[in-house]
Amino acid sequence: MKRISAITEADIVEAVHNARAKRTAFEIVSAGSKRGYGRPLSCENLLDVGSLRGIVAYQPEELIITVLSGTPVDELDMALAEKGQRLGFDPPDLGPLFGAKPAIGTIAGAVSTNASGPARVRYGAVRDQLLGFRAVNGLGEAFKAGGKVVKNVTGFDIPKLVCGAFGTLCVLTELTLRVFPKPSRDQTFVIRDMEPREGFALLRKVWANPLDATGLGYYANSIVLRVEGEEEPLAEKVRILKRLCGRHILEGADSETFRTIGDAGAFLSSDEDVWRLSIPPSQAAGVLDRIRASLWVADCAGAVLWLASNNHVLVRDVAKAVGGHATLVKADAARRASLGVFAAEDEVRAQLTRSVKAAFDPLRLFNPGRMWDGV
Amino acid sequence: MELPKANPDIVAHRRDIIAALRTLVPDGVVGEEAELAAFDGDALTAYRQKPLACVLPRSKDEVSAVLAFSAAHNIPIVPRGAGTSLSGGALPRGDGILLSLTRMNRILEVDLENRCVVAEPGVTNLAITQAVEAHGFYYAPDPSSQIACTIGGNIAENSGGLHCLKYGLTTNNLLGVEIALVGGERLVLGGKVPGADGLDILGVVAGSEGLLGVVVEATVRMLPKPPATRTLLAAFRKVPDAGQCVADIIAAGIVPAAMEFMDKRCIEAVEAHCAPGYPLEAEGVLIIDADGVPAEVDHQIARIGEIARRNFATVREATSEAERARLWAGRKAAFPAMGRLAPDMLCMDGTIPRRMLPQVLTRMSEMAEEYRLGFCNVFHAGDGNLHPLIIFDMMKGDELARAEAFGAAILKLCVEVGGVLTGEHGVGLEKRELMPTMFNEADLAQQQRLKCAFDADGLLNPGKVFPTLSACVEEGHMHVKGGRLPFANLPRF
Repeated sequence: MKRISAITEADIVEAVHNARAKRTAFEIVSAGSKRGYGRPLSCENLLDVGSLRGIVAYQPEELIITVLSGTPVDELDMALAEKGQRLGFDPPDLGPLFGAKPAIGTIAGAVSTNASGPARVRYGAVRDQLLGFRAVNGLGEAFKAGGKVVKNVTGFDIPKLVCGAFGTLCVLTELTLRVFPKPSRDQTFVIRDMEPREGFALLRKVWANPLDATGLGYYANSIVLRVEGEEEPLAEKVRILKRLCGRHILEGADSETFRTIGDAGAFLSSDEDVWRLSIPPSQAAGVLDRIRASLWVADCAGAVLWLASNNHVLVRDVAKAVGGHATLVKADAARRASLGVFAAEDEVRAQLTRSVKAAFDPLRLFNPGRMWDGV
Repeated sequence: MELPKANPDIVAHRRDIIAALRTLVPDGVVGEEAELAAFDGDALTAYRQKPLACVLPRSKDEVSAVLAFSAAHNIPIVPRGAGTSLSGGALPRGDGILLSLTRMNRILEVDLENRCVVAEPGVTNLAITQAVEAHGFYYAPDPSSQIACTIGGNIAENSGGLHCLKYGLTTNNLLGVEIALVGGERLVLGGKVPGADGLDILGVVAGSEGLLGVVVEATVRMLPKPPATRTLLAAFRKVPDAGQCVADIIAAGIVPAAMEFMDKRCIEAVEAHCAPGYPLEAEGVLIIDADGVPAEVDHQIARIGEIARRNFATVREATSEAERARLWAGRKAAFPAMGRLAPDMLCMDGTIPRRMLPQVLTRMSEMAEEYRLGFCNVFHAGDGNLHPLIIFDMMKGDELARAEAFGAAILKLCVEVGGVLTGEHGVGLEKRELMPTMFNEADLAQQQRLKCAFDADGLLNPGKVFPTLSACVEEGHMHVKGGRLPFANLPRF
C-alpha cells in the first residue's frame, strides 16, 4: 500500500487527480485510531490527512470553532476548556476499542463516524453541531458546504450528510463546529442493583424532566445519572433528582463512569462481536430480554445499547422489530465483510445511497466498500 | 426578479392533466382559474403565479400516485404546506402541479414514553405542542407563523424561531420522516431512535426546500416544559453596547432561551402599534428570556442583569406573566407594526457573526439612504440572525426594484462579514440569484449533483434555491430518462 501524506488541501486535490487518472482508490486516515470500524478495505493507496492540524479560528463569544480536520479531539477539548467551553456531542474515545492508543483520535474521525457520547442525550450528536466544512470531492474539486455561523439554512445541509459517512463521500479538510459553555460543576450518581425494567423506567422518568440531565446510562447493574450547572442550580437539580428517584439511594460516583460508557470501555476485551443499537428508549428492557447478551451497557436513557453477541441475525432482527437499527462496531475483518457493519438496505434506499455516493465520488475512490459493497 | 417560464407544451395539456389528476385524487383537485387564485403564492407577497392545478391528497398513497404521474409525464411539482414561506419556497409554477399537504393533518401518535409525536405533514406547528402540553411537554421550534405553518413545511425549510440558540432548528428536533421520492416511491428515514442507519439522508432532506422529496410523515422530538421562565428588558443608548452585552452574556457561559434585539425605528413603530412599554429614548432594546429549573433561571437572570448594567443598559424585569406577555407581544408585533407604515414589506434573513453587529447596522443605515427606503431591524441576537424589514410601496415607481436591490445588498453584506444569506427562511425563489455570492461554482455544482441523486429530471420544485439548474451529468454522459423527450407520451390520455 502506498502512503500519501497530505499537508495542504492542494496536496489532496493533486492526489485525487492522480487517483482519477489511474483509477486507484484511497483509504483515508488521520490518526487511524478507528480503522477497524466499518467494513474492511483493500485500497491501493493510503491517504494520510493527519498533518492537516490546528485551530483555524476560534471565537468563544460566537460559540463556534473552525479547525483543520486532522486536529486531535483532545487538543480541541483543551483549547475549548481554556475558555470554559466544550464540544456538545461529548466525543467518546473509541480508539482503544479497536486496539489504538487512547486519546489520539481526530475531529475528522469523530465526524466521519458521528461518534457522540453520553451528553448527546441533552446536546445532540456530531451531526447536530457540524455547521460547515471544506473538503475535496471525488472529482478532485475543493468545495465548501454549510457556513460559519450557528444558524444557517443556505443550500443543502451537506454537513449532516458527511457525519457518519465514514469518509466515503469526500476528504474533509476543515470543519466548523458549534460549541457550548461548560458549566463549572457536574455531579454523577449511581443507583446500584437495579433490575432492567425498573431501571430503564427510572431513566426515562429523569429524561422526561426538565432538569436537563447530561448523562442517563446503565452500567454494571447500576443506573448512572449526571447533572450539571453552577453551584445553586446544581444543588437544586440534585434535589429534583433525589425526589424523582424516590426510595432509591443515590450514591455519588466517579464522573469517569460516563467516559467508560461512551468509549464502550466495557467491551475492550470482548471476544464476541460488539454492537451498538439505536432503539426507542421504551423498548430497551424488552430488547435485552430477547437478545440475552452476556454483556451490555446502555446510554441515552436506553436509546443506545452497546452489547456483545455473535448472533447477528437475532441482534439485527430484534433491533429492526422495534423500529431501530444495529451497527456492528467491532468484529474481525472477515465477519465485518460478510455480515456488513450496517444492515442491508432495501432496494429503494440502496439505489439512493449509491446515487448519493456517486454525487460526491463517482469513481468510488474514497474508502470504497467501507459502509456497503461499493459505498 | 423573473418568475420561471412555463413550458407551453405542458400548459397546452392542462385540461387532460386535471382530468388525469381527478382519477388519482377524486375529491382533491382544484382546476378552475378562479379557485386557483387562492393558491397563487405564499408569504413572499410581491410574487403571484397561479399553478397549473392544485392537488390536495389525503393519504401517502395519493401523494405517491401524483408524484408517479408527474414523473411519467415530466410535469414539475411544487410541494406546499400552509404557504407561509417568506422566500417563495411554495410559489407555484404555471406549468407545475401544486401539491398541497394541508389535508393530511392528523396527529398519528403521541408517544411520550419516547418523547415524540408522529404526525402527518399538514399538522400545524402549534398543534403539535397543543397535543402534548397538558402532559408538560412542547415542541421547541417556534417560527412566528406557528399558528398556521405546517410541520411538513417546517421540515422542508428547516424552520427556526426565537429559541434556536438553546433548542436548535427543526432539523435538531426531527427524529424521522417518511418521504415520497420523485417517482412516488417512499422511503422511511430515522424513526423514534437517535442516529442514522447508514448515510444521514434525513439530515439533508431537512431544509432541502422541497427539492429532494415530499415529506408524508414526520416523527418529532418533544421537550419537557421548563418549570420557570423569566424575562428582562434591557434598553441601550448605543447600539454597540447592546452588541457587547450579547457577547458578554455568551462569554459568561449563559445560553438564554431567547435574546431579541430591536432597533430604534422598530421600537417606535411597535410603540405606535400596540404600546408594549419600550423606552422610546433607547437606540435599541434586548428582550431576554431565561428558562429552566428555578434556581438556574434565577442565577442566569441575575448574571444577565449585571452584564447588561455593566454595558450601560437600563434593565427592567417583567414582574408578572401579563407584563412578560406584553414585552413579547411587542417583539412579535414588529411585522404588523412596520406593515402599518407602508403597503409592502420585505423581510430579510441573513445571519452574521454577532461581533459584526454594530458595523452591519451602521452600514445598513447608510444603505437605506442610498436606496431611499424605510427599514427597521429585529435580530435574533443570540444566534446572529438579522431580520431587517424593508418597507415600500409596489405601486410607486421603482420601489419594488429598489427594495429588492436594498435587500440583496444587505445579504451580500452579511456574506462579506462572514455570515450567510439565510438563517431560517430558506433561499427559495427570493435569494436564488444570490447563491453565488456565498458559494463558488464548485460548491454549487456539488449541491446540484446531490439534487440530481434524488431528482435527475429536476421535477421537484424547479426554479428554487439554485440560480440555474444545470442538467444532471453522470460521469461522462448526460442523464436521459428512458430516452424520452419531455412530455412525449402525454397524448395517451
